[in-house]
Amino acid sequence: MKRTRQPGISRRATLALMGAGAVISAAPWVARAQAKTIKIGMPTILSGRVAQLGTSSRNAVLLEVEKVNAAGGLAGRQIEMVIRDSKGQPQEAARVARELVNTDGCEMLFDGEASSGSFAVHEVARDLGVLCIHTCSEASSLTADPKQHIPNAFRCVRQGIHDSIVGGSYAAAIAKAKGLKKWATCSPDYAYGRDTTGEFALYLKRFAPDVEIISESWPKLFQPDYTEVVTKILQAKPQALYTCLWGGDLTSYIDQANIYALFTQMEVFAVNMADYTALTVVKNLPKGIHSGNRYIKTFPKTPENAAWGDAYRAKYNEYPTNWSWQNATAVMLLTEAVKTANSTDGKKVAEALRGLTIKCPFGADGTVTMRAEDNTLVGYAIGWGTTIPQEPYVPEVKAGDWKTIFELEAEWKKSKGYT
Amino acid sequence: MTELQAGRASETLGAPSIETRSFRSRYRDILIALVAFAVLAALPFFFGSKALLDFVIRCSAFGLFATSLNLLVGYTGMISFGHGMFFGLGAYGFGLLMQRTAVPIPVAFVATLAITAVFAAIIGAICVRLKEIYFAFVTLAFQMLIHSTILTWASLTGGDQGLRGGIPRPVFFGIDLANHVHLYITSCALLVLGLLLMRQIAQSPFGYTLRVIRDNARRASFIGIDVWRAKLTIFVLAALFASTGGMVMALFVSGAYPEFAYWTISGEGIFINMLGGVTTFLGPMVGTVLLLILNDTVTRYTEYHGIVLGAVILFFAIGLRKGLMDYVLEWYTQRRDGPGERG
Repeated sequence: MKRTRQPGISRRATLALMGAGAVISAAPWVARAQAKTIKIGMPTILSGRVAQLGTSSRNAVLLEVEKVNAAGGLAGRQIEMVIRDSKGQPQEAARVARELVNTDGCEMLFDGEASSGSFAVHEVARDLGVLCIHTCSEASSLTADPKQHIPNAFRCVRQGIHDSIVGGSYAAAIAKAKGLKKWATCSPDYAYGRDTTGEFALYLKRFAPDVEIISESWPKLFQPDYTEVVTKILQAKPQALYTCLWGGDLTSYIDQANIYALFTQMEVFAVNMADYTALTVVKNLPKGIHSGNRYIKTFPKTPENAAWGDAYRAKYNEYPTNWSWQNATAVMLLTEAVKTANSTDGKKVAEALRGLTIKCPFGADGTVTMRAEDNTLVGYAIGWGTTIPQEPYVPEVKAGDWKTIFELEAEWKKSKGYT
Repeated sequence: MTELQAGRASETLGAPSIETRSFRSRYRDILIALVAFAVLAALPFFFGSKALLDFVIRCSAFGLFATSLNLLVGYTGMISFGHGMFFGLGAYGFGLLMQRTAVPIPVAFVATLAITAVFAAIIGAICVRLKEIYFAFVTLAFQMLIHSTILTWASLTGGDQGLRGGIPRPVFFGIDLANHVHLYITSCALLVLGLLLMRQIAQSPFGYTLRVIRDNARRASFIGIDVWRAKLTIFVLAALFASTGGMVMALFVSGAYPEFAYWTISGEGIFINMLGGVTTFLGPMVGTVLLLILNDTVTRYTEYHGIVLGAVILFFAIGLRKGLMDYVLEWYTQRRDGPGERG
């Protein structure tokens, strides 16, 4: 059969063009539907001695993610968290972080690692260029040291140096009022313990120059028996004691020191006491221990904070920890940043995160800020108070002054050669 | 049946002597090594998966470490519980040299090996005189000493936070270790070369001396072997390969952490050897691959990986009563020799 060429566009060509047009215009929808969920990877410690760090971080993240997803997700994409155990080993943390990005297709990382693990994940973020928010590591150098700085990594965690400044000024005021001149310290023997104690002593002496440290004890991390440490302190007869023991170590220490009635013989300043993990575990919580706030639902004393603490407790049947509020804040910051950037692209979100201030139940004035100069969280609620043996455990918390914190932190950074 | 016994058996059957055999098998080993390297090096061209490359890099680090431990445990009968200290020393030595000095990577590599050799010689000189459980415990004690030093000497090592800020990787001979594929190929090369060298040590007359010491140290000294010197030599050599494994790990994580020198790393080495078996040369390598696959898959699904890994240990220790390669070898020999040999 002879085919005749007709002028104009043939029926077949028209159909083909229409088909192609439909495919082209539908393609983005199809693609978008495929990449509808956004995966966020999270290496954290879910087994071993500090498993509570990981579980309470995971709980908080899932609590917040549920809310974000119910409200439509990140720029229309539902969040899927991929949370994996690193056993607290840095090489595993690095391996898991790389696997989450390279194999599981996670577009962002929440780093729920402590200490060395967080530095290992930081290197992965440096290598892969993926957006990473540290949510558990309090080591100041992670963001203060310019050598560590990378534009795609942020820290949404309280910092050792901030705690020391606020603790030092609070303790100095009490030292002056009560005439506490002779001090003892008792802290775990590793970098966090030594650095935090050193910085606390520095600021205590700065605000109360006639204070003297007459005894130092450095029990091992996870030491089971504190008898020798307690007796050593009692023999030195200090008027006040500072400790940055935490978690199980702090509660065993208090239980054992109670036998020697240590708490009736001196003022005790335990920066990590006011965390439900410690408060609810101690058998006889002595009255009047001075502590920094870790997480407590009555500080800041706002309905938002109380509601958040209650919601967490209702869902998980346990109190949130310090790690919980930090992880929750990370989700809140990320959500706002994605809104501002109107995109889930890592680079654009990082740009939006830098310097971002959001409303937050854990803010000193109802807001927290991701400081632009060093990608770290500031403006969170920080203060000190004294304990009572029952709820609310720390009825009155004296808030730290962020203006002073900024001034002294800048000085500290200079002294460390960071600026 | 040990390899020595196997050697003896083949001799009585009129097979070539150990020297000719090892001369021939040496070329065979080199050929196998070349083929293995070629296969590994070709992987990235066929599989795009970065996770696979990561897996092989970690296999290189732990494989070198575990096989070197087998030189002590399987070949010489010295059960070291502190072998991880050399893994840690390698990682820290290399990381510190790269961070604090501007030396090229090969120089840092050789210098780290030299540092490890010095440490191993001093520690070994004290330890290798001791037998069995005493040897195990003193090596463990030295490991904890090194671990504590790393923790407390924070100005040098960064304390419990490790060496931070990344390990610089200047390009050398056109190799850029910051590039994932380059790092992968280099790790494979180190693994294959390390295994080949260890194989040569194991098959050399010195290697057979070690087996004699393992089977009967007193007899060895009666036939004129300086047992102390031989044990010290293998202790130092094994440390060098463990240190190389540590360097590969330091490059992989771009840092060094105190956990690398902790006893758990030594424990993992022993576990790998139990899993793979200590009577074959490649047993620990098979154990490494098994352990890493197990670890990676189990941790994907549950945080109760301890239970699963514990059950696997029990299966090998109580069920099979030997490592996987030992079992395979036995099965193979039985099949080859026929049912008549079974006893």
